[in-house]
Amino acid sequence: MQNIEALLLEPVGCLAEFPSAPFHEIALQLFGRKRKAGSSASAIYWYVLNLMESARTPLGAEKKRLAENLEVEAVDAASMYEDVAPALAELKSMGIRLFVATSLSRKAAARFIERNSLDEFLSGVHTRDDAGGVKAAPLLKAVGGASLTRGKTMFLTDTLEGIKAAHSAGVHPILMMNDPDEAQRLAMHNPAGGVVSMHEMPDFLRLLAAQNQRGLS
Amino acid sequence: MKKVSIYRPTTVDEAIQILSQHGSSASVYAGGTDLLVRLKNRLEQAPSYLVDIKKIDNLRYIKEDGQGGVEIGAATKLAELADSKLLQEKYPMIVEAITKISSPELRNASTLGGDLLQEVWCQYLRGGYSCWRNGGYLCYGAIGDNSYYHSAMGGRLCYAVYPGDAATALIPFDAHAKLATPQGVKELSIEQMVPGDMLVDGKIQSHVVRYNEILTSVVIPPPKPSVRASFEKLRPRGVWDFAMASLGISLQLNGKTIEDSRVVFGGISGKPYREKTVEAFLRGKTLNTDLGEQAVAVALADAAPLKYNATKIDMAKGLLASGLARLNA
Repeated sequence: MQNIEALLLEPVGCLAEFPSAPFHEIALQLFGRKRKAGSSASAIYWYVLNLMESARTPLGAEKKRLAENLEVEAVDAASMYEDVAPALAELKSMGIRLFVATSLSRKAAARFIERNSLDEFLSGVHTRDDAGGVKAAPLLKAVGGASLTRGKTMFLTDTLEGIKAAHSAGVHPILMMNDPDEAQRLAMHNPAGGVVSMHEMPDFLRLLAAQNQRGLS
Repeated sequence: MKKVSIYRPTTVDEAIQILSQHGSSASVYAGGTDLLVRLKNRLEQAPSYLVDIKKIDNLRYIKEDGQGGVEIGAATKLAELADSKLLQEKYPMIVEAITKISSPELRNASTLGGDLLQEVWCQYLRGGYSCWRNGGYLCYGAIGDNSYYHSAMGGRLCYAVYPGDAATALIPFDAHAKLATPQGVKELSIEQMVPGDMLVDGKIQSHVVRYNEILTSVVIPPPKPSVRASFEKLRPRGVWDFAMASLGISLQLNGKTIEDSRVVFGGISGKPYREKTVEAFLRGKTLNTDLGEQAVAVALADAAPLKYNATKIDMAKGLLASGLARLNA
């Protein structure tokens, strides 16, 4: 793997523990899906993204607003992992460019960043509203917008859908191993790597740089 | 088995030259009880060049130094340590620890240096998984079966435990290591030499010894007359197995009052885990039957067990209680 220049960050499941109820509400109210699509907020979030992606017609203004409001509700109830801010600060000091690349709405992403004081670490924010789509679309927007080299860019994710989105965008999917059982299953889907927690990312990138310097990777 | 080329230098300087020439693709070969297994399992990380140091004749000895301590050559067999009258007389706890390493057959081959610097025995690494130590970027132990070979005290990318027992027994005596390097002799305490998962020369390893450095000896300071020490180890079977948890403990006593102590746990962390909170707690306390329970109450507050290994912490605490009881007996 080449030395990494940029990380794409999806707040849901990678930067914070989100509640699942608001995403379930989106599935129910916008798409009429009563069945809960998983136990974690990430699983339900990516399920909703699949529904959005496969919807025949774009969401109307009222439904958009409803989704936005429920996402903001989720953001307000989310608790950022305690190692995220120190890890982002360290990564930034290493010269790594950090982007929020999320399928959340612009309003929800902005609220998340403001609420957790992440603005100082970020080189850019790309949401489904800017990208005109979900899943891989914000990743592609971030890569294109900042002229990132795909082979030098990682996307952190804790779901199979996230791994697929990263593969389709041509960036390295890195598994956030929040739940060991789920991570064990996802490890079979060819992520480029995996970390137990965000605080390991600086060491990950240092190791890569050292390996490349010595011609080991 | 992975094909390798073997060098047989006769001096340490020659060995360092060869290691420097081949970089990370070469490795020191002494007892081979770790290295040959990695080669046999064709691990990605296994070296292509072996530098056999067994022909270097000044690396295998046990001798008293000028100050009344003991110096041990790094290529000394564990069996020779176990049989050493000098060690038995001065540091019986270390001898006890050595006799609990592996099996008699393996102790006839394994060296002290090899025990101190051995690779982790995580079943995923040894099984050839593409993990952090084997060319990959993921710790399978953190998400798989971590009941035995993995840390209950957190990790740094790799979550395997440091497997050696010798370090756990040597640290309570403030032993230190001498390394031959291209720049000359380097001395480190054992604790400094095996600080846990470190990024060294582009690799994750448990120790800080670089690719072109050789551990040449271990020096144990003179024993203090008022020191009592004990080594405890729990393992699945009575021989051969690595520690589920182990403890090296030394108490410097004035009568029954503890003036100083060293408390080092093995088998629970990526390094020999020195429990300084317990050491501070013990200072000034009277060694009595209640002390074990009190010490256990403050021990290992930083524990961060994985899904299947919380029991390691219970074991370690149990060893602390039994170790203190043994020293009080």
